[in-house]
Amino acid sequence: MSARLVLSNVVSRPMRSLATALAVGVEVALILLLVGLSTGMIRENSKRMSGVGADIVLQPPNSSLVLAASTGAMSVKIADLVSRIEGVKAVAPVYLQFNTSGGMGLLWGIDPESFDRITQGFIYLEGKGFQGPDDVIIDDIYAHGRELRLGDDLKLMNHSFRVAAIVEHGKGSRVFIPLGTMQRLVGTPGQATMMMIKCHQPSDVAGVQARLASLLKSYPTFDMTSFAAHIEEANRDFGPLKYFTNTVVSIATLIGFFIIFLSMYTATTERTHEIGILKSLGAPQGYISLLFLKEALVLGGLGFVLGLGLTFGGRFFFRLLMPTLQHQLPGEWLFYTGSLALFSAGLGALYPALRAARQDPIEALAYE
Amino acid sequence: MKSILESIELTKIFKTGKIEVAAVRDVSIKVREGEFIAIMGPSGCGKSTLLHLLGGLATPTSGRVLVDGEEVSSGKDAVRTDIRRRKIGFVFQRFNLLPTLTAQGNLEIAQEIHRNGSRDRQHVDEILNLLGLEKKTHHKPSELSGGEQQRLAIARAVINKPAILLADEPTGNLDTRNSMVVLKMIQELNRALSQTILMITHNPEAAGIASRLIEMRDGKIVSQQREGEWNAAEDRMSL
Repeated sequence: MSARLVLSNVVSRPMRSLATALAVGVEVALILLLVGLSTGMIRENSKRMSGVGADIVLQPPNSSLVLAASTGAMSVKIADLVSRIEGVKAVAPVYLQFNTSGGMGLLWGIDPESFDRITQGFIYLEGKGFQGPDDVIIDDIYAHGRELRLGDDLKLMNHSFRVAAIVEHGKGSRVFIPLGTMQRLVGTPGQATMMMIKCHQPSDVAGVQARLASLLKSYPTFDMTSFAAHIEEANRDFGPLKYFTNTVVSIATLIGFFIIFLSMYTATTERTHEIGILKSLGAPQGYISLLFLKEALVLGGLGFVLGLGLTFGGRFFFRLLMPTLQHQLPGEWLFYTGSLALFSAGLGALYPALRAARQDPIEALAYE
Repeated sequence: MKSILESIELTKIFKTGKIEVAAVRDVSIKVREGEFIAIMGPSGCGKSTLLHLLGGLATPTSGRVLVDGEEVSSGKDAVRTDIRRRKIGFVFQRFNLLPTLTAQGNLEIAQEIHRNGSRDRQHVDEILNLLGLEKKTHHKPSELSGGEQQRLAIARAVINKPAILLADEPTGNLDTRNSMVVLKMIQELNRALSQTILMITHNPEAAGIASRLIEMRDGKIVSQQREGEWNAAEDRMSL
């Protein structure tokens, strides 16, 4: 019956209930969209890294697995050295640069010949590859998202490029420019930020890694089978992203808390007379507190469901407006967000519920 | 017959700043099992305050209240609430029904509070039938007439078979016809079920159905008459 009283109270004030649940829903959607976007981007990047087809990645000393934040570089001449190591089939120097002009993203500077040896070549949907230093190769998702066609101009790193080819997505980056052009634009001639290495035998990866370690002691190497997982982990633990996510989650939870607090505080004032009635019936303080806590939890739960709806709606619009943005909902975050919505609802209702329970029965009954 | 309700030198003083107002002064009453007492008196004489003290809704400044042998005048809210839950049923002038619940819901919640969660749907239906509210089971209080609301409030008060029913002006908001229906119902509860009742009223007709009449003035009991005594007095006055 108390459950029916809780539900009837929720239903009898539909606008207040809806507004409160919607506010909690915004809290939930804010968290899920942010986490979903960052997870989607990280997973998409690591998936594309795996799609290159390399067995080992070699990075310069003191570089970061958060590729966009890595500033370390090494000489491309190391590629020759590495190619002579026993078991190495091919080496491709790559220069990665985070680009902010004309949209944010990671650009790859590649040497097409060596890169093709690793990847078995791009699958060209249009065009044939680099024809000149100012040519750019883009993948189909990037082309579709920006409505680019062969021969179109594309401004990257404050430099104008011509779309020379559109390739099938899934091999490293969405945007590739010639390695030499990249080195010139960044001002680091003869440098690369990573080497993609292909082994003769996949079973010899550990052996090649050991030989690389003895030759290039301070250069970290990663087995590609675990590299994607390393990248995901590193990005998740990446300071600025982590703090940003935590800050948004905290603010969203606080908003949920205050909305529920305000709503339940108003509800306890509105229902002072009803509290008096329950007290006259002999309802103990715990019973009355629980009524309001349950109502807040119902609103929190309703808010969570609305939040899921808002999240999927948001996802739909992201896909429609920005096809290159990937959004993935990690299952554990559904659980965390649901728990946060209920936690903030329960916490927000705690003081109003205790206040309601402590009302003087006569004053409450006399309340108009 | 055993005493169901007893107040011993009950006093309640309200303080407003430095001003003290004694709403109830040294009131001692003994209500026996099955008795039906009416309390009358002018507005502000302390009738309602006395009822609140007897029902454990308020604590006295001094004195004691015993309900079925248990002290309800303790300062602890939890103790008073527990006795109220187990032993006392209230009927108010304003009906005081929960507006978002149906007639059935209002009865069931009283059961749930009384029984710590459990309900007896059959008993609820029996009571609703008894009060002629069987067709209004799923109606909310706002969809019931004043008389129906008060009948429902009485049903709620007695559904858990309380040791005593405390009624505060139960006909105060009703027209004559509905007042008669409600009074008859209260009288029936007392006669048929031996329900102990203490009723506050302004209405001499309402007081007329009680077995004892207590008159209050300025927070004190000024007279007590048993059934027949005040009828004779009224007859003498009317002559």
